[in-house]
Amino acid sequence: MSMLLEVSGVSVSFDGFRAINNLSINFAPAELRAIIGPNGAGKTTFMDIVTGKTKPDEGHVIWGDKNISLLGMSESQIAREGIGRKFQKPTVFEDQTVRQNLAMALKNPRGPFAVLTHKKTAKNAARIEAIAEEIGLLDSLTRPAEELSHGQKQWLEIGMLLAQDPRLLLVDEPAAGMTVEEREKTTDILRRAAETRAVVVVEHDMEFVRRLNCKVTVLHEGSVLAEGNLDHVTSNQQVIDVYLGRSHA
Amino acid sequence: MRKSFLSENPSVLWFIAALGLFTLMVTLLSEATGAGLISTSFVKTLGKTLCLCLIAIAMDVVWGYCGILSLGHFAFFGIGGYAIGMWLMYARTEGIVLESLSGQTIPPTPQEISDAIGNQIFGVVGSSEFPLIWAFADSLVLQLLMVVLVPGLLALVFGWLAFRSRVTGVYLSILTQAMTLALSLYLFQNDSGLRGNNGLSGLQNIPGFESTPQSTIAIVFFLISAAALGAGYVFFAWIVSGKMGSVIKGIRDNEARVRFLGYHVESYKLFVFTITAVISGIAGALYYPQAGIINPGEIAPIASIYLAVWVAIGGRGRLYGAVIGAAFVSLLSSWFTGGGAPDINLGFYTIQWTDWWLVLLGVSFVAVTLLFPKGIGGLFDYLVRKQP
Repeated sequence: MSMLLEVSGVSVSFDGFRAINNLSINFAPAELRAIIGPNGAGKTTFMDIVTGKTKPDEGHVIWGDKNISLLGMSESQIAREGIGRKFQKPTVFEDQTVRQNLAMALKNPRGPFAVLTHKKTAKNAARIEAIAEEIGLLDSLTRPAEELSHGQKQWLEIGMLLAQDPRLLLVDEPAAGMTVEEREKTTDILRRAAETRAVVVVEHDMEFVRRLNCKVTVLHEGSVLAEGNLDHVTSNQQVIDVYLGRSHA
Repeated sequence: MRKSFLSENPSVLWFIAALGLFTLMVTLLSEATGAGLISTSFVKTLGKTLCLCLIAIAMDVVWGYCGILSLGHFAFFGIGGYAIGMWLMYARTEGIVLESLSGQTIPPTPQEISDAIGNQIFGVVGSSEFPLIWAFADSLVLQLLMVVLVPGLLALVFGWLAFRSRVTGVYLSILTQAMTLALSLYLFQNDSGLRGNNGLSGLQNIPGFESTPQSTIAIVFFLISAAALGAGYVFFAWIVSGKMGSVIKGIRDNEARVRFLGYHVESYKLFVFTITAVISGIAGALYYPQAGIINPGEIAPIASIYLAVWVAIGGRGRLYGAVIGAAFVSLLSSWFTGGGAPDINLGFYTIQWTDWWLVLLGVSFVAVTLLFPKGIGGLFDYLVRKQP
């Protein structure tokens, strides 16, 4: 099966510290994947590399059907290629309404002059409402984002990702700070999204990963330690030693 | 589309109505067209204030909405003033020279005329040659084009270099200060081609209207300035409303997030920086014919800092706030420094406002920033929200 994203042999060092060490990892066009690992395993750096924020010292990042390299592309170009990213801390535009936040993210031409002459259309409004319904914020479209609860902000950010209509979603700790019900809802949103695109969830919380019920990749010291379903990786002795052993001891 | 834009932004209509009313009142009370209760010099002060309001809303868009604290926008204002000043000075000097030479029996050659004009303009810096930058000075149309093109191109090149390297925050502010300082120092030189520290003068005399009284010229410039402010206000309100406004405010609040949404942040910053520079140039071109003189001191770094102070006191991120701040502070400033405010005798010390005004301004700036971060314009929010 042809892969959507192929990361191969990537390494990056910061001041001599190897954050990513010969990392190779692939994602299929429609799959849900969880990436777990202890602090400093390189999870965030991995996302930085894929989204163009950090340039690797070596290795390849190959994207899509045409096998283009993402290295050397800017963050905004990569985003337009179809990679969406959700930050760990919810980052929505606080003094703008939910509708404005979603409208900004909605897949449309991104150039200044296209944006300046942008007209509101019924089609865009319908797309915004469909996404708002998906994330449970249909009643809050006219509210400023700063009034939302923490969980609602997380959903709004996921909604903004969906509005971009990306082929790959990178989601950093979506469940952090959420109540149990909110987590369930988040899981549902992510699993539905993964039916048509690749969704990669970076997560600390094993319970949340179990609920996602998907393939798991364990990172450790900047490379892949184990890969498979959750039961498979949690029974791996190395994984128990470096990660689970510490938190479940 | 325009209709929906205005109906979604009722404050624009309110502003235009207030500006129209103010303009009408001044026109009816001026010496040239009305009761004569407002002196010509005060009409000029009000006209200049409208130009300062125009550059203030440009500053508000670049800083208050887009988060780029430019401390160099007065350079663009000054360039606009110099560009129009060159034509005003050339055309007027040409008229005077032609008149004085017309009595001669042998008609003067074009070279003699050119030399005589050059001598009149550049004699003060010990030269009579026309520098290259005066090549278009005899054409009003071309100089008007310069009012727009030179600030626009300078902003485009400067902004492209700065934003491409992702210079942000205080570093960008320092760079823009350096830009305006460098321009000011260059213009101070006698061989800069723009008469060094003498600057350009006599700009209140409009060629072709020598017999028109200054009171009429003053009210005409006042009306043009008011129209420019009104048009600029609507234009910027349109820019910052809708989706463009969302992206610009997004860049201010979280640049990285906007980038990961797929927007090329640098293009947007460059667009905002350049368009506000062009409007600043236009504001300057309207200001200096009313001021009568422009010299390099006008674009000293402190001028651009004042601009930021006006916008901060008036209230960032709301266009009417910038207008209020610029009008309020600049008029107050000319009142205090012009001897309008009575000195306060404390017995052991006399507070002279010409010296102490800056202290007062500095204290108010700090107070507003710390206590009322939304500025005077923030009061409107408060009043609007109090209504049921």
